[in-house]
Amino acid sequence: MNKYTLKVDENSCWGCKSCEVACKQEHNTPNDVKFIYVSEDGPKYVNGKLDFTYRINMCKHCDDPPCASICPAEAIKKRDDGIVILNEDECNGCGSCIEVCPYNAISFDEEKGVARKCNLCYFRIDNGLYPACADNVCLAHCIYFGETDKIDQVIKEKPWLQRRVEQAMMERARQTKEED
Amino acid sequence: MLEFKYSNVEREIEVYGFDYAVKSHCRMCHGGCGVFVYVKDGKIAKIAGDPDCPINHGTLCSKGLASAQLVYHPDRLTYPVKRIGHKGSGKWERISWDEAIDAIAERILDYKDKYGAESIVFGYGTGRENEAVIYRIANLLGSPNVLTAGHFCYGPRISSSIITMGTNPIIEYEGFPKCIMMWGNNVTISNPDCYKGEPFSVALDAGAKLIVVDPRFTKPASRANIWLQLRPGTDPALAYGILNVIVNEGLYDKDFVENHVYGWEPFVKRVNEYTLERVEEITWVPKEKIREAARLFATSKPAVIQWGVAIEQQINCVDNDRLLMFIMGLTGNIDAEGGQVLYRTPPIVNVGQFGAHAMLPREQAQKRLGGDRFRLASRFAIITPKVVWDAILDEKPYPVKMLFFISSNPLMTRANAKEVYRALEKVDFMAVSDFFITPTAELADIVLPAATWLEMDYIGDFWKRHGYILPRRKVVQIGECLSDHEMLNRLGKKIGQEQFWWDTFEGGLDFILQPMGIKWNDFNQMDYVRGPVRHFKYRKYGFSTPTRKFELCSTILEKMGYDPLPQHREVPESPVSAPELYKEYPYILITGARQPGFFHTENRQLPWLRSLHRDPIVQIHPDAAANEGIKEGDWVVIESPRGKVRQRAQFFAGMDKRIVSAQHAWWFPEKKDPGHGWAESNINILTDNAYEGCDPTFGATNIRTLLCKIYPEKKEAAHE
Ligand code: SF4
Ligand code: SF4
Repeated sequence: MNKYTLKVDENSCWGCKSCEVACKQEHNTPNDVKFIYVSEDGPKYVNGKLDFTYRINMCKHCDDPPCASICPAEAIKKRDDGIVILNEDECNGCGSCIEVCPYNAISFDEEKGVARKCNLCYFRIDNGLYPACADNVCLAHCIYFGETDKIDQVIKEKPWLQRRVEQAMMERARQTKEED
Repeated sequence: MLEFKYSNVEREIEVYGFDYAVKSHCRMCHGGCGVFVYVKDGKIAKIAGDPDCPINHGTLCSKGLASAQLVYHPDRLTYPVKRIGHKGSGKWERISWDEAIDAIAERILDYKDKYGAESIVFGYGTGRENEAVIYRIANLLGSPNVLTAGHFCYGPRISSSIITMGTNPIIEYEGFPKCIMMWGNNVTISNPDCYKGEPFSVALDAGAKLIVVDPRFTKPASRANIWLQLRPGTDPALAYGILNVIVNEGLYDKDFVENHVYGWEPFVKRVNEYTLERVEEITWVPKEKIREAARLFATSKPAVIQWGVAIEQQINCVDNDRLLMFIMGLTGNIDAEGGQVLYRTPPIVNVGQFGAHAMLPREQAQKRLGGDRFRLASRFAIITPKVVWDAILDEKPYPVKMLFFISSNPLMTRANAKEVYRALEKVDFMAVSDFFITPTAELADIVLPAATWLEMDYIGDFWKRHGYILPRRKVVQIGECLSDHEMLNRLGKKIGQEQFWWDTFEGGLDFILQPMGIKWNDFNQMDYVRGPVRHFKYRKYGFSTPTRKFELCSTILEKMGYDPLPQHREVPESPVSAPELYKEYPYILITGARQPGFFHTENRQLPWLRSLHRDPIVQIHPDAAANEGIKEGDWVVIESPRGKVRQRAQFFAGMDKRIVSAQHAWWFPEKKDPGHGWAESNINILTDNAYEGCDPTFGATNIRTLLCKIYPEKKEAAHE
């Protein structure tokens, strides 16, 4: 069981792509190498109704990662906390992992000659910092990071919304006092 | 589990070894979002949102996040240059600031002497917090001609709201509106003047109902309770349809109408000319949907309208703005809690006072180009671009000899780009201040290196209407770059305005803050200041209009000789107004939908942002594409009576088959020839700027809706 999970509530995503750029700022990858990317699904008809959803694509840190099994250099390992890390220093550039990833989440960095993917900003997590894309950049607040067994509950309850509403009400109360 | 905290500044500094973080706020668009700028070894290492900023609540858009790539871009101009080859030769020579300022000052004084101050036109693009200094130098010089995006962006919102109710009504998202009508806008991508997407998104998640008015099925439309899919450019008719329901079903605020509006009876008469049957025919929106939307909006309290620039870049610009304000007003939402509040800024020298409009001599103001025709715009010191091109090309009504564009790229952003090119090519002298040598700057005589928002101290957002002001703090100095304020401070002193400028522009900041009794150094210690928030002020004081009422019939427009009530005009090129042309150009072309990462012409050279969009994209319905033999991803030609450009086709099933939607402002900084591909994909090659097609009161150019044909590029090659 993974300890940490990053999950995006895609129905709430507006497609602003801040998360992509926040990731670029952290990892400064070349143009074609995207650890996270946003794509359009629609507009299309679903059950007779027009629908339009943004999909956020990134490494899912699989329970049984096929990329790790196939890598001949053993450059991909799953940590105890569930994070699947591709170690670029150990990668030999063969590209087998790119082929087997079911989510299209690994890209080839032509400049470095290695495969690269989202390592869930483990350096940040290990130091108590949110992954770059999950660090409150998202205007929809729809990128969630937390303990795996609680994350679905958190997405359902949206505690941030509660906080934002309370904050706004306090601010309004302050103003009303001023107004009187 | 480790303690995670958003934007954990102390920890970021500790973990990454940053030296410190500066609290500031962004201006990659109109600005406002609070940020932390982390610095390491004197360089910007990271930009993150400030969770305590009331404007963005810590979230940032892609542009703000990528700002360091702008600051350190290898192509940036970091010292003044003068052109040494012919126009457009791309041959430049480095000069000193003194030489540059002296040369510009000399030209200004010379033209003023020979042709009058009106022969010198200052210009800026979207308001990037330099408007106050630019108007100041122009007014003090005696030139009534400042050419800005204001003729079709935000200027109309300000002006039309001032004549209707005294100021621009801003949504109080923190009061949680129950219903939001998003009209020709997508705040989550565009962050229009005075707004950011985050508070909208929160209000929606908190349960607000949503009505979206848009020809395209945007992401907000997909979350809407009602989507009104109107024919492009028919906004006033649709607004009248909604007002018709509100009036005839008695859904309006009775007290407001009885006590606070002017012109009710003539207004009702006009409303009744727009029957739902007629509105349906004009707009393509079924009348049942209009009725449903009107009822939902009028019966939800509070309810608000989220608008933006799209409704202004049309022939019906001012009337669109006014009609939406009428909907806000008549439903009792003006100055209501969680409605649209008439905010007040803190006591400072406001942008109008700083702009020294009162110093412009009357006889000079009367010379404002186009002032006879676009009288409302002229009252607000705004001109339409074509008057300037005409004055350069035909020297009528008098010659314009000099242009000074400050953060503006009109070759890409103004209608009828070929005419713009001819004017810039012909003008006697042109100076430009910008980050890069843009296609417009390539035609200049002198180009000055402008500072980004990370390279200046400033009082941010003091021209906005949400009531906040925030300190922007200088983080780094790049080359010899200067802020527009500092640059004009130097120039002003060289053209006889010594007593109105300061040693350095910090004096200007002190001047702005004077009424608060503080100086920049004090303000620099603060996070932000907001003017007092009060609701329903009009119940006590009335509205700040000539009648003290909310003016449905505008007494100001009437005095100027215009129809005091809004009306629906067909856009000049539509299937209805130009049926013959429509046979040859069988698609309605809409332009200008915002792309994340770009701000009009900006940011295409920043790798992180360009990685979001490699090529210019035109959206076409899959059925239409099949008819035209266009495959997804094909390069296609889009053509209007004025010219043609190429973009790449993307299928988009969320709009009427008769519509295509093209991106705007595309040029290619990676092309190193001096044209930088300005004419290749620039949609303004296709748009028109004829006076008859402009808003009759304001001169807004109608660039959002026209007619076009579209076909695969390969086919064209085979023909030639
Ligand atoms: S930042 Fe949030 S809203 Fe924007 S694209 Fe990413 S997930 Fe979607
Ligand atoms: S919306 Fe984006 S560009 Fe505009 S101020 Fe905020 S972060 Fe900056």
